[in-house]
Amino acid sequence: MYSRAYKTIITLPPLVWVTLFLLVPYALLFAYSFWSVTPDQVVVHNWNLGNYAELLRTPVYLQVLFRSMRIALSVTILSLALGFPLAYYLSFHCHKHKSLIYQLVIIPLWVSYLVLAYAWKTILGSTGVLNTLLMYFHIVKEPVSFLLYSQFAVILTLVHIYTPFTFLPIYAALEQIPRHLIEASQDLGATPRQTFRKVIWPLSLPGVIAGATFAFVLSFGDFFSPLLIGGPGGIMISNVVYSVFGAAYNWPLGAAISFCMLVLVVALLQCAEHGERRWSFS
Amino acid sequence: MQPQRPQRSEELLFALRSWRFLLFAVFLTVLALGSGSCTKKEGNLNLLVWEGYADPLFVRGFEEKHHCKITASYMGSSDELVAKLRGGSASNYDVISPSSDVATSIVNAGLAAPLDVSRFPAYAQLSPQLTSLPLVKANGKVYGVPFLWGPNPLLYDTTVFPEPPQSWAVLWDPKYKGKVSVWDDLSTPYMAAQILGFDRPDPAAIYNLTDEQLEAVKKKLLELKPNVRKMWTTGGELTNLFQNHEVVLAMGWPLMTTQLRKLNFPIGETIPQENTTGWIDHLMITARSENKELAEKFVEYMIEASSQKLATDVTGYAPANPGAANLMTAEQRKLLHLDDIDAYQKRIIFWENVPRRAKYNEMWNEVKAAQ
Repeated sequence: MYSRAYKTIITLPPLVWVTLFLLVPYALLFAYSFWSVTPDQVVVHNWNLGNYAELLRTPVYLQVLFRSMRIALSVTILSLALGFPLAYYLSFHCHKHKSLIYQLVIIPLWVSYLVLAYAWKTILGSTGVLNTLLMYFHIVKEPVSFLLYSQFAVILTLVHIYTPFTFLPIYAALEQIPRHLIEASQDLGATPRQTFRKVIWPLSLPGVIAGATFAFVLSFGDFFSPLLIGGPGGIMISNVVYSVFGAAYNWPLGAAISFCMLVLVVALLQCAEHGERRWSFS
Repeated sequence: MQPQRPQRSEELLFALRSWRFLLFAVFLTVLALGSGSCTKKEGNLNLLVWEGYADPLFVRGFEEKHHCKITASYMGSSDELVAKLRGGSASNYDVISPSSDVATSIVNAGLAAPLDVSRFPAYAQLSPQLTSLPLVKANGKVYGVPFLWGPNPLLYDTTVFPEPPQSWAVLWDPKYKGKVSVWDDLSTPYMAAQILGFDRPDPAAIYNLTDEQLEAVKKKLLELKPNVRKMWTTGGELTNLFQNHEVVLAMGWPLMTTQLRKLNFPIGETIPQENTTGWIDHLMITARSENKELAEKFVEYMIEASSQKLATDVTGYAPANPGAANLMTAEQRKLLHLDDIDAYQKRIIFWENVPRRAKYNEMWNEVKAAQ
């Protein structure tokens, strides 16, 4: 079989990679979150829980954390609402241009995130495509301002960006469903609705969970959308982390916030993995 | 027959060789990583400066004179500069151009090298209003030379305001609901502090506000929020906001006025009666630079009147060397207020180190997070 040397060579690079680029930075982040910073902006290694206390004491951090979760949840639900029917249609009812439509759906994945955000800017702005049209047809007299620089714009953009992320795993899950199971269900007299509820939906759950996790985790930590097209009151947790690290030079506090985010995300990933395993087919 | 033996030894040899190979690979990687800091050849300078501060228009002259190569990296914000310097890449750069808000903390952190001003003949020509400030001085030593400076003026769309607004208070006018942009920077809280009169009698007091004063500033800024369409973060973004008629009033930089005028946009720029904040960018040589001698020559070159004039042409900022004004047209002098420089500078409270920056930032985050 494989020699020990071969195994060493195969396992060593990923091990070094994980240690150097993941474990060590996380450990550093964790350590930083217990240190503090002097008014001269020098980090002192006096182990204490001050940063976590500050996190709980200052309402702004938790407030923004919850807002980010709320936005991420909205994005997840909307992405699923768009991604699932699309994947379902493509997998079961589309035969002719299947690969073409598939390509079209995942094109946003190949386009730079920033380009997508800027595109929405030109569509939603006061002198943008949408407002110009609305005014041209006399539907509104003044440009509608809530379209851009608002939470609406942030959620819209994130849904646009992350729908392919939910679409792909759901589509993969639906494609894997053996078609004879569906035929069996129909043979046994199930209505289409029953077939969907009792066969397709449970078997697609791993894909749904994977897609939802992608959408939630990625939009939870989003930084650019609130910055580029968010309103004056729409900052998210990553923007706060950025300003605490940057403008305030308070790396320990920034590390504490980041660590809380990390714990939240890891916990969510664990739950998702558990769910996927539980509902996975085979 | 001993079929197993040779195989085992071969395997062992292979393992040994692969270990050597691995060690060699690790060695190569370390070498490659390490050489990142060794790529600086003697006679070359690496800059970490604001965009436009290493324009070929004036840098090429120096390169030709001293047969060297200047490589510039640009920073997006003061924060980025500090993060890079503190993050351990200080040795990658020879010359930096921090603004006056972080200059002091860079000096205090020992990241800048002390300068012998007698080695800079042009230093004596610089505006004494700038060189006399304590920003870049510590322990009786000077750590930086002023390069360019400018205010954070009030910009307005002249089709909406035929006359320049008199006061920053216009930003709060309910008439301009959703038509205002402010800078996503501590300069906006400073401005609110000025409106509240916290800059009297001591202007520098806005950089040392008490908790009660910060609370008042926060309240004032929260009242401003319904009027704010977007908080801008880059110069180009504000230019765009005006162009697309998203806003008609903003706190900005002279750079945007220059840009918008080039685009024939009807833009006006004024310093309202409450005065405004502004910045001085200093050139500093990093403490760990290995090319200090060449860096000194470069700094001297950059503050000479002729290069200062070219730097002003590129950026639209005001030169630290008033001698540059003699090389300009009367119109350019007027545009930069160099014809009346003393009175103009008096209206600017230059950024200083804010000892309680974290507290300021927390308040500013609270303002930004409020809906």
